[in-house]
Amino acid sequence: MSDAPVIVHADDLYAGYLPGIDILNGCSMEVREGELIGIIGPNGAGKSTFLKSLFGLVPIRAGSVKLGDEDITNMRADELVQRGIGFVPQNNNVFPSLTVMENMEMGTYQNPKAFKAAWERIGDLFPKLVDRKNQRAGSLSGGERQMVAMGRALMMDPKVLLLDEPSAGLSPDRQDETFVRTREINKTGVTVIMVEQNARRCLQICHRGYVLDQGTTAYTATGQELLKDPKVIELYLGTLGA
Amino acid sequence: MTNRVDRRVLLRALVVLVASAAAFFVLTALGTPALAAGTDTAVTHAVASSGEAAAHATQAGTTITAEAAAPAKPGDNRVVQQLVNGLVFGLLLALASVGLSLIYGTTGLSNFAHGEQVSLGALLCFFFTTPQPVSLPLLPFEFSIGLPLIPAAIAAIAVSAGTGWLQDKFLWSPLRRRRVSIVQQMIVSIGLSLAMLNFIQWWFGAERQRLTTSIDERIDMGMFSIGISTLWSVAISLLCLGGVAYFLMRTRTGRATRAVSDNPALASASGIRVDKVVRLVWIMATGLAAVGGILLALYDNAAAFDVGARLLLLMFAAVTLGGLGHPFGALVGSLVIGVAVEMSTLWVGTDLKYAVALAILILVLLVRPQGILGRPERVG
Repeated sequence: MSDAPVIVHADDLYAGYLPGIDILNGCSMEVREGELIGIIGPNGAGKSTFLKSLFGLVPIRAGSVKLGDEDITNMRADELVQRGIGFVPQNNNVFPSLTVMENMEMGTYQNPKAFKAAWERIGDLFPKLVDRKNQRAGSLSGGERQMVAMGRALMMDPKVLLLDEPSAGLSPDRQDETFVRTREINKTGVTVIMVEQNARRCLQICHRGYVLDQGTTAYTATGQELLKDPKVIELYLGTLGA
Repeated sequence: MTNRVDRRVLLRALVVLVASAAAFFVLTALGTPALAAGTDTAVTHAVASSGEAAAHATQAGTTITAEAAAPAKPGDNRVVQQLVNGLVFGLLLALASVGLSLIYGTTGLSNFAHGEQVSLGALLCFFFTTPQPVSLPLLPFEFSIGLPLIPAAIAAIAVSAGTGWLQDKFLWSPLRRRRVSIVQQMIVSIGLSLAMLNFIQWWFGAERQRLTTSIDERIDMGMFSIGISTLWSVAISLLCLGGVAYFLMRTRTGRATRAVSDNPALASASGIRVDKVVRLVWIMATGLAAVGGILLALYDNAAAFDVGARLLLLMFAAVTLGGLGHPFGALVGSLVIGVAVEMSTLWVGTDLKYAVALAILILVLLVRPQGILGRPERVG
């Protein structure tokens, strides 16, 4: 994996929602093709902001983001989708009045010809969605909505998938299912960058992890190394369930 | 599953319609004071399509149609006639208000200037159709156009749709980009409404303008009578509303419009150009408002600069009643409002008919806060 070319490179990012108030104060990250990266940290560390800034949803005031060799800093979301980046937000991640199938169709909006093949692929990954294809997404449970959200993002066959706390609000067994699915998606060759509150579970499945603290990258190492790192255990993982 | 749910809500809407019609029928059958009133008053009500029509019932066309529609026995077919009038008015109102619903759905904006788009459409049609010398604002000379009605209507719809494009390009899109709040945008729309109202009055004057001088021939259908041009208006309304429904449900861009309506940020993250979709919605909304304005002016025999402003509250009521942001909410809400407005004249004074519509709005919202077609979303 360490020989694979770098696909996403964020360099010294300063970003925030309001003018003059930076939430990210020099965040950097390097992701190689095919990696599964976990971003963990305490509440308010800037994890979600970091992910959103990569996807152009939070304005970057300094620093740069590159996709391969191309500078994608502050690029519009629809342009990033065109370049192969998919994003699954934490909340409001489905179109509630659209059916499951229509939600999936929105995933291939830029390339409608790819819909049929993509739908078959997603149907294999999430068979439950095929059963519920004509049901309104607004009437689905939290776990099912998460499937729809991931499925929609995967419909466009992205090179890089950004997941913002995919296990948030789910029951423990649904959380497990989500992590297993994420691993499966990554195994198909999709680079995954995932922000997670459930740090321990996240580090168990990811190749490498980044620990964010107060808007800066505090530590980076492989998932297994971070799980054993005394400082990370003391500050972020806690001792319960170790 | 979707079809079943849709059928259920449509059935619910139908029940509301039938129940309100039945309630009015029972009230009229019981012999309310309005029925006991002179036939002339009741007959005038029977053909009055809105406040303007009632106020100008002395006009030649209206008087003739009033006579043609006079029932043989008082109370015999008046209810049916008013029901038909209400459905026609509701359809035309739906055409005018569907754009309001689309704009609200995709941008969250309650556009107070939408009424003026209705007036503009009607008066632009007058501008293109009149053989009298006309003038353009800021041009020192007059000229005559005098196009036939249909080309004039098409030109008016095109120009109105152009104003939608202009508005979004130079006003609403920059405001959205600068993240101006929805309340602030709504205040801007109130200002725009006043500006447009005064502009239209300055351009066309305060008097009512007739789009056509011909008198509508009425067909006797037994229980009720209806004008030929009204039948055409109904057909055009159904065609336009059917077109909008087809666009929203069956086309890719239409489904993207519904996606933007649900969640613009997620739509953008799915690769949809949200600004392009919203621009298209503005063009459609203003174009449909113009169609509605023209057909209402034909139905009413004339249009004034404030016709849209008078209808604005009814349009808001219709959209809210049907279910805010729901693609077919405007249609169902408008039909209920149209029937309520027209049938209420059987037992309350014409001056109170809009009050009845708003009372129905309040009653329905007390029972179904999400509107007739609105669906409560699952939480969690």
